[in-house]
Amino acid sequence: MSERFPRPRAVRLGRTLALVAVLCAPPFYLDAFWLRIGLFSMAAAVGAVGLGLLSGTAGQLSLGHAFFLAVGAYGYVWLAGEPGPGLPTALAAVLAVLLAGAAGGLFSPVAGRVRGIYLGVATLALVFLGNHVLLTADSVTGGFNGRSVAPLEIGGFSFSSESELTVLGVPFAAEERLWYLGLALFALTWFTARGLLRGRPGRALAALRDSETAAAVMGVDVARHRSAAFVVSSMYAGLAGVMLALAFRRVVPDYFGLVLSVDYLAMIVIGGLGSVAGATAGAVFVTALPLLMTRYADQLPLVAAPGSTDGGVGPTEAARYLYGALIVLVLLFAPDGLHGLVRRARARLRERRGGSPPTDTTPRHDPPRPAVRAKEPTP
Amino acid sequence: MSVRTTAPPELTVTGVTVRFAGLTALDAVSFTVAPGTVHALIGPNGAGKSTCFNVLSGLCRPASGAVRLGGAELTRLAPHRIAALGVARTFQNIVTTRGTVADNLMLGRHALSRAGFAASALRLPRARREQRAHLDRAREIARLVGLEAHFDSPVGLLSYGDRKRVEFARALCLEPRVLLLDEPVAGMNAAERAATARVVDTVRAELGLSVVLVEHDMGLVMRIADEVTVLDFGRAVAHGTPDEVRRDPEVLRAYLGTGAEGEDAA
Repeated sequence: MSERFPRPRAVRLGRTLALVAVLCAPPFYLDAFWLRIGLFSMAAAVGAVGLGLLSGTAGQLSLGHAFFLAVGAYGYVWLAGEPGPGLPTALAAVLAVLLAGAAGGLFSPVAGRVRGIYLGVATLALVFLGNHVLLTADSVTGGFNGRSVAPLEIGGFSFSSESELTVLGVPFAAEERLWYLGLALFALTWFTARGLLRGRPGRALAALRDSETAAAVMGVDVARHRSAAFVVSSMYAGLAGVMLALAFRRVVPDYFGLVLSVDYLAMIVIGGLGSVAGATAGAVFVTALPLLMTRYADQLPLVAAPGSTDGGVGPTEAARYLYGALIVLVLLFAPDGLHGLVRRARARLRERRGGSPPTDTTPRHDPPRPAVRAKEPTP
Repeated sequence: MSVRTTAPPELTVTGVTVRFAGLTALDAVSFTVAPGTVHALIGPNGAGKSTCFNVLSGLCRPASGAVRLGGAELTRLAPHRIAALGVARTFQNIVTTRGTVADNLMLGRHALSRAGFAASALRLPRARREQRAHLDRAREIARLVGLEAHFDSPVGLLSYGDRKRVEFARALCLEPRVLLLDEPVAGMNAAERAATARVVDTVRAELGLSVVLVEHDMGLVMRIADEVTVLDFGRAVAHGTPDEVRRDPEVLRAYLGTGAEGEDAA
């Protein structure tokens, strides 16, 4: 890991600044379509980090992530809107996150008693329950048609297109503004989740996953940590739900179905269980792929244009097949996901550069390579 | 940093009985571990030694009987509460977690540290300071058991003997007052066994803790134990110093399976 080979502080700072600059640039260059992909990806990344913490690190399988996303999204819509208390939107967002955490806490008596695949089935019930409530509790959720989302307003600044705003000659509409909000919330998620994973709670959760007996004997309160994992994971899901609601501008019950839960599991498996960076990569992949395929359906072979009736595979289904196949490949060839692939590639790169890899100290006898690789001709 | 300096309290086991669906694994077993001594539990396979450890560490609730550590009654406490009282154990079959040696040793510091979810998530200075301090102590303990070269290596890559040492070091990281060692040298070669025996001697001398030892290696038991309890079919059949136990006819019978009358019958 990087902290075991500390780079000079200046280099790290420089890299971080460069990354921030790159992430802040898109609203100035890309149109709303690409920005929306980014927004959905950031929201999904926050949710995936939460599920990664629960299922990847603490080893508790959850198929109910969509439920906690829904609690966050609908919680915000109801708290900020009419009918509802009509609270200031920033306060509503914070309360929605806490509400999702509380929902996770309410589920923890179940989570504390049921393990493995049985826990997965128990969480499945949450999704169906949630969907039923979303469809029937009309006064809160708007029923089948859902509800429109009040735009977030922080200190008089509205994350919507209502007021005019031009930055450096670029008109800033809702997408541009939400991009920076999403970045900030994603950065917060990244910071807190890594802090958790590398600190005392993360080690305790990982110990629960590997052996509850050993964890208990080492002083970890098993029941408390199992439910805490649910609460924290649900809070990240709630935050992701708020972000999704803001990006969609309308919440509908259909979206928060079982398929969404499965999508999140796909994200953390593809990305690599137990890693924040992996969950992020998986989230971007799973979120962006169907949107991109829909956009470019007419240029892709074997994919029908959206809405066409000639019996081809629709772009959304095609995207699902693709990442279904990818999951199989990952499970077969890279059980530690994209994160593991990158880590191994890095170790190999370091070895090639002459530095010693962190774990494998046996010398390798690779065939000699030319010092400078000739550029391959592009066909 | 909390390094316990007070002498360990006395550990008394009185009339502990454990039944598993008709099988009596422990039958009214009693013994006392005097503060600062090494107390060995020996006996043939299936005699109830590991079950006894499971009772001491709270993983198994006895049908009757009591285990007292100083003023605390352990049989009513959850395992993590017993750990917090300073009872640490190792397992016969190694139970480590994924991750590095450092991660495993830091797990041993869990009960001694405070940083919760909020403090760790926000990386409060308090939590970071605490983590640094405990990491330093974990490194010291790794040095004590001879693991300093592997401190940042993944446990999965270590040899069997080294993984046994990781478990031992992790138990020491709890700064225990009572250390329960379940076959600490099983599967080790002579040099590794001697090294482990030295470490047990060192920690007892330096940290003044009591050690309860389950071990089949009689050489090691005779060398480092102050007192021995012999279990056979769940009953404590003999107590005494290693020399007394070695001469006890009951012990010979339990280990060799025959006495004079047994030979007559056969």
